[in-house]
Amino acid sequence: MVIPVLAFVGLIFIPIGLACIVSSNKVVEVVYRYDTKCVPGNMLHNKVAYIQNASIDKTCTRTLKIPRDMKRPIYIYYQLDKFYQNHRRYSTSRSDAQLREPKAAGDVAEFCKPEAFAANGRPIVPCGLIAWSLFNDTYSFARRNRLPRDGDHGPPPLTVSKRGISWPSERGHLFGKNVFPRNFQNGSLVGGGQLDPRKPLSEQEDLMVWMRTAALPRFRKLYGRMEADLVAGELITVTVRNSYNSYSYAGGEKAVVLSTAGWLGGRNGFLGRAYVVVGMACFLLALLLTLLCLVFPMKEEHLLLR
Amino acid sequence: MSSRIKEMMRVATARLGGEQSPRGGTSQAGRAEASRTARLGGGGGSLRRQPQPQAPTVRTIYCNDREANAPVGYKGNSVSTTKYSVLTFLPKGLFEQFRRVANLYFLMISILSTTPISPVHPVTNVVPLSLVLLVSLIKEAFEDWKRFQNDMSINNAHVDVLQGQKWESAPWKRLQVGDIVRIKQDTYFPSDLLFLSSTNPDGVCYIETANLDGETNLKIRKALEKTWDCVIPEKASEFKGEIQCEQPNNSLYTFTGNLIVDKQTIPISPNQILLRGCSLRNTEYIVAAVIFTGHETKVMMNSMNVPSKRSTLEKKLDKLILALFATLFTMCVIGAIGSGVFINEKYFYLGLRGRVEDQFNPKNRFVVTILTMFTLITLYSTIIPISLYVSIEMIKFIQCAKFINNDLNMYHAESNTPALARTSNLNEELGQVEYIFSDKTGTLTRNLMEFFKCSIGGEIYGTGITEIEKGGAERAGVKIDDDEGKRSATAVHEKGFNFDDARIMRGAWRNEPNPDACVQFCRCLAICHTVLPEGEETPEKITYQAASPDEAALVAAAKNFGFFFYRRTPTTVLVRESHVERMGSIQDVAYEILNVLEFNSTRKRQSVVCRFPNGKLVLYCKGADNVIFERLADGNHDIKKTSREHLEQFGSAGLRTLCLAYRDLSREQYESWNEKFVQAKSSLRDRDKKLDEVAELIEKDLILIGCTAIEDKLQEGVPACIETLSAAGIKIWVLTGDKMETAINIAYACSLVNNDTKQFIITSETDAIRDAEDRGDPVEIARVIKDSVKQSLRSYLEEAHRSLRSTPGRKLAFIIDGRCLMYALDPALRVNLLGLSLICQSVVCCRVSPLQKAQVASLVRKGARKITLSIGDGANDVSMIQAAHVGIGISGQEGMQAVMASDFAIAQFRYLTDLLLVHGRWSYLRLCKVITYFFYKNLTFTLTQFWFTFQTGFSGQRFYDDWFQSLYNVIFTALPVIMVGLFDKDVSASLSKKYPQLYQEGIRNTFFRWKVIAVWGFFAFYQSIVFYYFTAAASQHGHGSSGKILGQWDVSTMAFTCVVVTVNLRLLMSCNSITRWHYFSVAGSIAAWFLFIFIYSAIMTSFDRQENVYFVIYVLMSTFFFYLTLMLAPVIALFGDFLYLSLQRWLFPYDYQVIQEMHKDDPHEYSMIHLPERSHLSPEEARSYAISMLPRENSKHTGFAFDSPGYESFFASQQGVGVPHKPWDVARRASMKQQRQQQHTGRS
Repeated sequence: MVIPVLAFVGLIFIPIGLACIVSSNKVVEVVYRYDTKCVPGNMLHNKVAYIQNASIDKTCTRTLKIPRDMKRPIYIYYQLDKFYQNHRRYSTSRSDAQLREPKAAGDVAEFCKPEAFAANGRPIVPCGLIAWSLFNDTYSFARRNRLPRDGDHGPPPLTVSKRGISWPSERGHLFGKNVFPRNFQNGSLVGGGQLDPRKPLSEQEDLMVWMRTAALPRFRKLYGRMEADLVAGELITVTVRNSYNSYSYAGGEKAVVLSTAGWLGGRNGFLGRAYVVVGMACFLLALLLTLLCLVFPMKEEHLLLR
Repeated sequence: MSSRIKEMMRVATARLGGEQSPRGGTSQAGRAEASRTARLGGGGGSLRRQPQPQAPTVRTIYCNDREANAPVGYKGNSVSTTKYSVLTFLPKGLFEQFRRVANLYFLMISILSTTPISPVHPVTNVVPLSLVLLVSLIKEAFEDWKRFQNDMSINNAHVDVLQGQKWESAPWKRLQVGDIVRIKQDTYFPSDLLFLSSTNPDGVCYIETANLDGETNLKIRKALEKTWDCVIPEKASEFKGEIQCEQPNNSLYTFTGNLIVDKQTIPISPNQILLRGCSLRNTEYIVAAVIFTGHETKVMMNSMNVPSKRSTLEKKLDKLILALFATLFTMCVIGAIGSGVFINEKYFYLGLRGRVEDQFNPKNRFVVTILTMFTLITLYSTIIPISLYVSIEMIKFIQCAKFINNDLNMYHAESNTPALARTSNLNEELGQVEYIFSDKTGTLTRNLMEFFKCSIGGEIYGTGITEIEKGGAERAGVKIDDDEGKRSATAVHEKGFNFDDARIMRGAWRNEPNPDACVQFCRCLAICHTVLPEGEETPEKITYQAASPDEAALVAAAKNFGFFFYRRTPTTVLVRESHVERMGSIQDVAYEILNVLEFNSTRKRQSVVCRFPNGKLVLYCKGADNVIFERLADGNHDIKKTSREHLEQFGSAGLRTLCLAYRDLSREQYESWNEKFVQAKSSLRDRDKKLDEVAELIEKDLILIGCTAIEDKLQEGVPACIETLSAAGIKIWVLTGDKMETAINIAYACSLVNNDTKQFIITSETDAIRDAEDRGDPVEIARVIKDSVKQSLRSYLEEAHRSLRSTPGRKLAFIIDGRCLMYALDPALRVNLLGLSLICQSVVCCRVSPLQKAQVASLVRKGARKITLSIGDGANDVSMIQAAHVGIGISGQEGMQAVMASDFAIAQFRYLTDLLLVHGRWSYLRLCKVITYFFYKNLTFTLTQFWFTFQTGFSGQRFYDDWFQSLYNVIFTALPVIMVGLFDKDVSASLSKKYPQLYQEGIRNTFFRWKVIAVWGFFAFYQSIVFYYFTAAASQHGHGSSGKILGQWDVSTMAFTCVVVTVNLRLLMSCNSITRWHYFSVAGSIAAWFLFIFIYSAIMTSFDRQENVYFVIYVLMSTFFFYLTLMLAPVIALFGDFLYLSLQRWLFPYDYQVIQEMHKDDPHEYSMIHLPERSHLSPEEARSYAISMLPRENSKHTGFAFDSPGYESFFASQQGVGVPHKPWDVARRASMKQQRQQQHTGRS
């Protein structure tokens, strides 16, 4: 019974694994880590001072080369490391009721410590550490290698759409249509991004993405989508407004990622490889056991009871 | 209703067992009362005024006068045996529950989880705890409800109470102290009563005390003469007695009190007291006054709880739980230290500047560490399997109620007795028994005593040959013809009598050389006893009620020899004597019984002093040979010598012997002795001892008449059962009060010992000891015996070791008598005794007292730390039954006392095979599986949490949603494991019995060792890593073509799904037999999880909670990644187990796996057949029912066998491996086919 089961598992798993690998290989991914590259050389020794100094212009433009053809849509992610969104103090510091219901705006004391009340004593909407530390680097892209024509001012921009980057359940239910940011980032310490107080939370998709906390300290989050095709060898410029503080702790990497998506999602060789390996292992084991059966049939002494 | 009452009384008496003094079982006390009655009648002095000691507080009862009794406020007669009342149920029940460590632990965790340091919502721990408590409380309530109903039916039973001048029926509970009641024949006494009058002449009545002490013989009670006329209601209503008596107490056999009537004070003895729980027999009705009611009755005052036994496996389980606590602690310490190190202000997004609560304050890392410790304890609390105990309890309860009690293989049709599990917490202990201590009489043998031979005046009568003699002759090579054809025409075989010798039947003894001795012999048999005749007074129809079957057999023998004892009055014994004066003449002779010197285990004899119609005074005595021989008059050595030889002969034939003797008494001799006797009898201190001393004065200078030999037949199937049990590696010890020769012979007959066995015998019957005894110095005797015991123990031990080395296969047996055992149990010699007895395959202890039986059992239990089982049927086995790990009572023959003290009751010794090899083994296997599986599933689950802790900065953030965690143990993984606990079966019942060797796995405790647990633990570790890392990897990338990212709760839901699926599948892998229940429960559990998450993640509650998992499952299900992971993770996780199980099965198979392999092609047999009710089934009915119960679905072995072609053919070529079909098996299948055909034809 063992051998057929093993063979069967192998038979199923290897094709699945191969399909996964193929799908994953089709995905083109460009990762650009900019946390140190976007800091001027003279500030490298004190990156925290750099990022906290509001008077320095933190825009930095870099050129990326596209290695393979990228078909639309191209997804843009930001990637952070050593950022413990799953820390107990952090991930519980939010009020889902407040995000959903305008009436619950004041019910912040229980969950939102220590970012519950603004300096004026009014409740913050959205409250809590997660919202307070909203990621606020921005990216913009432009093609570089198309020749500038007459009247062109620099490379044409590649528009980044920020619609539809959150899950529908968040837009539809978790974040209220009648809840507007109030007293947000009013405190003495600014944790991160600002929100447009005129837009209801149900339209603040950046916030939604950020508030779906990541499971691991190294994570990617969806920034936006480009409806454009890029060809291999194309150069694009990426303009980063580097304003998020990932420098006060060690290993705070920041990166921007451009990626296409297959049916399985992003580039993820792991799953496919695991399937193939398990399938192979099963086949191998089945073979081994068959050999074992032939070479060492269950001997008579095995049948003797102790 | 009466059966309910009986049941209740049994419950009450069950608790009496513990109170028994080892020496005086109740049987002696019972007899004492019977004999006292006889004397009281004979002496006629019962109404003499005796100063009665008054208890410091006296209860005064005014008979027939409720108003006068009212101020005292006696308790009513309603009883309640319930543990709880409506009000006390919750507090008391909860208190009971929290005495369990696991529950208490979870209570503390629940309290912790309400504080802010807890990462989890209180619901996580409160829900499972409350569910567990709820189940336990429902079970308690159910049991208590049954007790309550039982009480109600008893309280509402009706009895006739005197109202004015009429008898009026009233329920028991309305009865009050002082009421006059009328009890009809065969009904139970509603309370403790003072016996006033009876319809029988002489104011006597007969009662049966079976519910109190298990004795079925009738006892006589006699009313005070003063009250005899109260039979009719008119007279009774005039009766205005005042009873002054002791306060209620629990002593069943004593009573002090006075009846004051007409200003006359009359002492009341136990003889006038009728105890609740007894029933009236052979008397139309009696009238009595109520003295103690309800809970103040003696039987109720006696009921107390038996300390419950815990199984060894459960004790080992405690160690496992401790190990889990240690693991938990380690995990928490690691996490806590990590948190102290991690916490730092530099993580600005954690908001750690300024005033921060202690838990996260980076300025005080030590406090952070300590508090995180508690946080983690609450988080990892799932490592302790909270539902384990309640699951085990349920499993065991159902195993007992449904399997053991209903097994037709253990159902004795003749006595309509099924097996009965009286406690449900020792099932798995039955699968690990290594030593069985068995009583002989009634357990190995039938206790159906048949008078078989006798020796009168130096001549042996009786030509039968016992089974044991036959066996012995066959072993010696002599062929003995079947005796049936050879039996003479005079052979008689009836109850208690199986005798064949024309020389003394039908008066033929007149022609024997010694007819006078024959007359004495028969008279002694007919007079010297405490038997009560019942039924019509003809030799054919009469039945004898006797305390022991030996007595009945002896009286039956007298009847057949022409001395027909047909009636007993309190003062006389009437015997119809034939052929005494001349051949054929018949005369009724009334012998006046003056004194009865009762039997007890120290005296080992019984005497009566009787007056012949002609005034002659004779003392008849019967007793054990050594006791009688010590007290014989000098002279007549020849007859003593031949009788001794005969006794030995009888003994070696396995017969039970008694010696009979008499003594003529002169009037003066008797009178002077009787005075002392009366004095002793009325003494208040050490009465028993004084009576014994007085008896010695008259029981001397006896003249030997002869001796009797009674056959004690082996129970059905005993030798085969013993052989099977020995093959299973169980060692059987026989502990008996019988003589050494008898014991050894029974051991031969049971194939415990055979001719190849090397016997080590230690006996006190050696010359050296006899010499010392002759010198008479008790200190000297003790020294001599001790020395000889010491010496022989040492030399035997050496010899045994030598023999073990030189001829390892040889069986060794150790035989010791009670006297030597007493010295051998001395702490100094104990080690040698234990060493020697553990080497020997069988041990026989003879002439041991009940206390010694218990000592031997606890010697092995405590000294050798082996699991022991005691089996017995009588009151003398009670202490042994309680001393061993498992006590088994034989239900049926004698009283109920052994059964009441036991943990399991079976009707026949041979059912031990089924009980141990089938039920015990299965229970053990199942329990081991359940426990290890619980361990595994909780460890796996908790370890995933643990791995997550490392990536949350050791903050103690929970990985799973609160409800996932709280329902994991009680819903998503609860049912399948219970199914396994109930239905898992490695090999069928018949194979279990066919291969008794399988049992040794239980003795060796193969399935619950640290090694086994370590393997499970390793795989739990491996699987948890697989679950965590495979699912956590998901959060790194976008999923699906929309490129969206999964968050923490998506990952955890995915991980949890994998855990639930895998853990349930793992259970299926470890099952030996898979029925549809397994599929249902496993599929149901997984389905329950999905159903739960579908609903749970679809709703948004208005409560203050985080909507973490809102829509999570739907998000997950919109990605391919989820399905792929769900397929991959369980396969990878189970791959290791799969590999391990197959390799283990292939290379190092367990015994049961070998048997499975050998029989995997057999058609599956179901031998577990259930009784529909406890109704009487004829064998045909039982069989047809059994057939109808045969399940239709196919169960299979999961079998990790490698069915490669070579493998198949290999088995096919094995000769003799397949089971030959048993005839009954074939027959059953044939009849099943027939039935189906009939059904078909019936339908069409």
